[in-house]
Amino acid sequence: MRILLFLMMMLPTASLAQELDVQQIVERANQAAYYAGRDGSADVEMIIEDNKGGTRKREFSMLRINLDEGDQKFYLYFRQPADVRKMAYLVWKNAGGNDDRWLWLPALNLKKRIAPGDKRTSFVGSDFFYEDISGRSLAEDNHRLVEITGDQYLIESTPKDPASVEFASIRTWVDRTTFLPMKAEYLDARGKLYRRVLALKVETIDGYPTVLEALAEDLVAGTRTLNRFSNLKYDRDLKENIFSERFLRRPPRELSR
Amino acid sequence: MKMLLTNFSIRHPWLVILASLAMTVLFALQFPKVKFDNDPENMLSADEPVRLYHHEVKEAYALYDFVIVGVVNEAHPDGVFNVETLGRIARLTEELESLHRDSNGLPVVTYEGSSRSIDMTPQSAWTRVLQSAFRHDPNGLFDETGQSALIAREMLSPSRVDNIRQAELGSLRIEYLMEQPPQTAEEARRIRDDALANPLYNGTLVAQDGKALIVYLPIKAKHFSYNLSSLVKTLTADWPETILITGMPVAEDTFGVEMLIQMATSAPMAGLAIFILLFIFFRRVSIISAPMILAVVSVVCTMGLLIGLGFDVHIMSSMIAIFLMPIAVADSVHVLSEFYDRYHQFRDKAKTLQHVVGHLFRPMLYTSLTTIAGFASLAATPIPPVQVFGLHVAFGVGLAWLLTMTLIPAYIMVAIPDSSLEKLASRGQSPGATGLFGRFLRSVGAFSARRYPLVIATAAGIILVSLMGVSRIQVNDNPVKWFQQDHEIRQADRILNQHFGGTYTAYLNLQARPSQGDCDQARTQVAEAILGELAPYRPDASRLFLTELGRLPMASSGAAQGCLGPVMELAASIDAGHEGLWNQLADEINYLDPADLKLNTLPESLSMELARSAELRVLMDQLSTLPHLEGAELQEQALSLADEHSKLNLSTITARIETEVQAPAFKRPELLLYLEELQRHLEDNPMVGKTSSLVDALKKASFELNFQPDARDDRNQSFFSVPQSAAAAGQVFTQLEGMKKKDSLFHLVTRDYQNANLWVQLRSGDNRDMEQVVGDLSRYMTQNPPPANIQADWAGLTYLNVVWQEKMVTGMLSSLGSSFIVVLVMMILLFRSIVFGVLAMLPLSITILCIYGIIGWVGKDYDMPIAVLSSLTLGLSIDFAIHFLSRSRELQKELGSWQAALGEMFKEPATAISRNAVVISIGFTPLLFAPLVPYNTVGFFIATIMAVSWLATLMLLPALMTGLRHRLFSEEASIESSNSAGALDNAREGVNP
Repeated sequence: MRILLFLMMMLPTASLAQELDVQQIVERANQAAYYAGRDGSADVEMIIEDNKGGTRKREFSMLRINLDEGDQKFYLYFRQPADVRKMAYLVWKNAGGNDDRWLWLPALNLKKRIAPGDKRTSFVGSDFFYEDISGRSLAEDNHRLVEITGDQYLIESTPKDPASVEFASIRTWVDRTTFLPMKAEYLDARGKLYRRVLALKVETIDGYPTVLEALAEDLVAGTRTLNRFSNLKYDRDLKENIFSERFLRRPPRELSR
Repeated sequence: MKMLLTNFSIRHPWLVILASLAMTVLFALQFPKVKFDNDPENMLSADEPVRLYHHEVKEAYALYDFVIVGVVNEAHPDGVFNVETLGRIARLTEELESLHRDSNGLPVVTYEGSSRSIDMTPQSAWTRVLQSAFRHDPNGLFDETGQSALIAREMLSPSRVDNIRQAELGSLRIEYLMEQPPQTAEEARRIRDDALANPLYNGTLVAQDGKALIVYLPIKAKHFSYNLSSLVKTLTADWPETILITGMPVAEDTFGVEMLIQMATSAPMAGLAIFILLFIFFRRVSIISAPMILAVVSVVCTMGLLIGLGFDVHIMSSMIAIFLMPIAVADSVHVLSEFYDRYHQFRDKAKTLQHVVGHLFRPMLYTSLTTIAGFASLAATPIPPVQVFGLHVAFGVGLAWLLTMTLIPAYIMVAIPDSSLEKLASRGQSPGATGLFGRFLRSVGAFSARRYPLVIATAAGIILVSLMGVSRIQVNDNPVKWFQQDHEIRQADRILNQHFGGTYTAYLNLQARPSQGDCDQARTQVAEAILGELAPYRPDASRLFLTELGRLPMASSGAAQGCLGPVMELAASIDAGHEGLWNQLADEINYLDPADLKLNTLPESLSMELARSAELRVLMDQLSTLPHLEGAELQEQALSLADEHSKLNLSTITARIETEVQAPAFKRPELLLYLEELQRHLEDNPMVGKTSSLVDALKKASFELNFQPDARDDRNQSFFSVPQSAAAAGQVFTQLEGMKKKDSLFHLVTRDYQNANLWVQLRSGDNRDMEQVVGDLSRYMTQNPPPANIQADWAGLTYLNVVWQEKMVTGMLSSLGSSFIVVLVMMILLFRSIVFGVLAMLPLSITILCIYGIIGWVGKDYDMPIAVLSSLTLGLSIDFAIHFLSRSRELQKELGSWQAALGEMFKEPATAISRNAVVISIGFTPLLFAPLVPYNTVGFFIATIMAVSWLATLMLLPALMTGLRHRLFSEEASIESSNSAGALDNAREGVNP
């Protein structure tokens, strides 16, 4: 009886000999992509390219800390262009709930809270969504392992509430070694590919496989955004208190300002 | 020589008929290749600078042509802002977004998971036949790659435009104006209030009174507008609200579609009317079939040529049939009329034909050549569709002449039995020469000759009045006005322009020239700021800095860009020695745990160095006035005080100036304020309903960001303004760049903030009104020059129309002038007399003056069809004069006296002229019933042209000829010596060599 039960539990994965099941894959991928280390920091160069090839550049630094139950806090500090220097964002990601967001505009001497809204909207005018930066809750989609190709898993995710998002499905190629998502393709209701996010360059930093260049493409508007990460650090023992409204006005020293 | 063609046709009639038939079939075979072009933009050639610029602007700001869908609800107290209407609009938006094509090529829309196909094939079989003949696919809503012609992501609808509003906890919510269809009346009203509070939407998307809103549908190309508006009509067919669809592209495209119908109905109707009139005159179907066949053959061949050569059928070329038909008919009517009058003399078809063609050859050749000259001169206008039109009509006229010389004789030889002619001959007279009409004509002739001074004086009076009318002409066109008053597009246009800022779009593109800001000036700004802001607090550092600044070498380029680099370094190095510990102090306070923080224990929690510092003493001093503060409040207060001090350094101030100096043009407050002024001035113009720019977006965002729910209203309102620094503007713009509808700000400014787009909504699409706005703005900008090097240029469909109108007027004038001279020379050559040449030009000159005089007096706008009428007049009225003068001269020679010739002139020749005039003018009355104004105009003026030239030819010419008879017929004058005026004339004759 016991053996039978054990065998039944084994059944779903038996076909993918010694492989993880889809839930394990997406969880590990989520961990690798958004939760590496206890905390982390990076400088980001963001190049936003319009459909005519014109580019805009933004530079910012970010700090991240992992908290319990998948919660995280982010601090973003802008350095370029000159007019947005010292502008800062604070995001408290509440796993399974709405994020809290604050905004600091130094030239207006203004701190403003941003009400939770659609996370699938452009992050500071780029082709990345807020959700690309902070991650999408795994519970919002149904995941299916489509195939294993060479060194990648192909996962298909479909939203549980199709009305809440603009995509009908996402196909994500996850590296079998690093578990980093290397390519995500967004398809609309008619199966047409309209958006793509790619990891262009990966390196291991402080023992964590890390994406150094990420590209998001809006295939309908013909725009794309490249994020280049540098000065990456993990496990810096960042304190949670620097992720607070008070530190918007006077940014934390940890930003290597 | 001149009989060559006709003799050949008499000998080989079947050959000629077969050849004509073959030619017609050949040209008709080109028809399936037909392509239509109803885009007035093509009035300008594709490489016209203003057109290229228009596309450049559209490209730079990702602007599209819009189909404007107005939704009006007058019945509900909240107008369109009720749960039901907004729900329907949300649904329509989603349906339109989902537009795609099924396997049968039919449009499909999806809503809440269920799809439905829509077939827009018209109900009427006739329209269906026409559309398939003209290859108009009523369901064509997809580009060549099968994508929807509607650019869904750029659609402007309440559920697809951004909204920034205050939300709970003083937070800001960024979402769509109608994130979800409202469930309650209150939610619906909130959407209205939000929309009206946004200057970008009030008057553009939403009517001030809340009774109407507009959904803007951007399209990939204008030629999808008609089908897209049909789709919207289908989707909204069961709505209780009024749906109004308009916009320049819809008007233009709808005109194109209706033009097809008119082409296929008006022209044949005109043909039928001509046929009936000819029948009344000639009473023999076999006879009058000839001119009809000739007209059809010329029209078919001309249109076939146009299509075969790859030209698109344009608004102008669609009228080729209508212009060509009267001319083609006129030629053959002359031949036929003469043939029947003469047949009884010869009683032999061939001989009669030889006689008729023999003496009509010259006048007919010349009438055709002059008409050709008139139309061919249109090739000199700078407007491609008019060039194509002119040259093709010229070709058609030439062909009609050739056919008159060949096909008509061949037809008579083959199709008209001698027996029917015998019957006619036995009646002896042609039908027109006797009876009431004949008597009337003779009395007209007699009157004109007897009372010639009166006739001449009247003509002079008419010329004078006409000239006054001409001076009142206003050049104006508006594609929407091509439809009649009660057309649904005109109605939609009227209603929507009452509710909104205007449905006519023009763009003012403001381009900042890269201004090489002066390095010297930038450093002076830094020095002034240091002197004013820092010197009172940090006198030593400031003095040192200012001295060192004076010694810094200038940047090699002398430009501001990069020139502050060394200044920044200088500031940083001096700061290091002078700014003290404020920064560290603030930092340490920042990291303190606010819990249990008290004023007296504050120094203890800091590091040694700071605890003993002079800076802390100053801070403690300042805080001592607020002894009750503790915890987080104390920390906040200490921080903000320390911040005030730490900001007082050279680097901060220099960096701030650097940001301002290097900021792109449209982040600078002075330019943004100028733009605001420019908008205010434009909106004072009654023609302008509304303007929108990035300043509106900026002010709205600044207001919402700074809004405090518990603050005074005037404090909050004061933030509805341009922020005071480039950095502040830049930071607000960054928020706008990250709105839910991505990149919508970049319709109003380029991504580098160097160029801005001012969207001007006009209430009228009349060129005249647009021109007035353009002139007014240019005057304003001269008087109030912008605070930077700004180049302002117009674009947009409404503006494009102005440009081609200007070109049309000047082009038409010069083409009319040149063809007038060509025709005059031809007349002098034809008559081998300057006086006869000038006389021949008179009827057409008076006619042209007269019709343009009428247009001026009536206040009808001088638009494209009217401009082209001058060529038609030239071609038609000269014919009458040529026939009249050449016959008069022949008769005078034949009969030896002008008096006798005049009598004969008002028998057969005048009848032929009158027949032509009546046939053509009445023949075109069907055009008056067309639903398109340009067709009505042409119909009305063809009749007017005929009437005036007929009068001028049959009254003014005999009057003048009577007055000038001795000059005109000098060698015959002596014969006339017995006449009363003879003695005096003989005396004058004697003087002349």
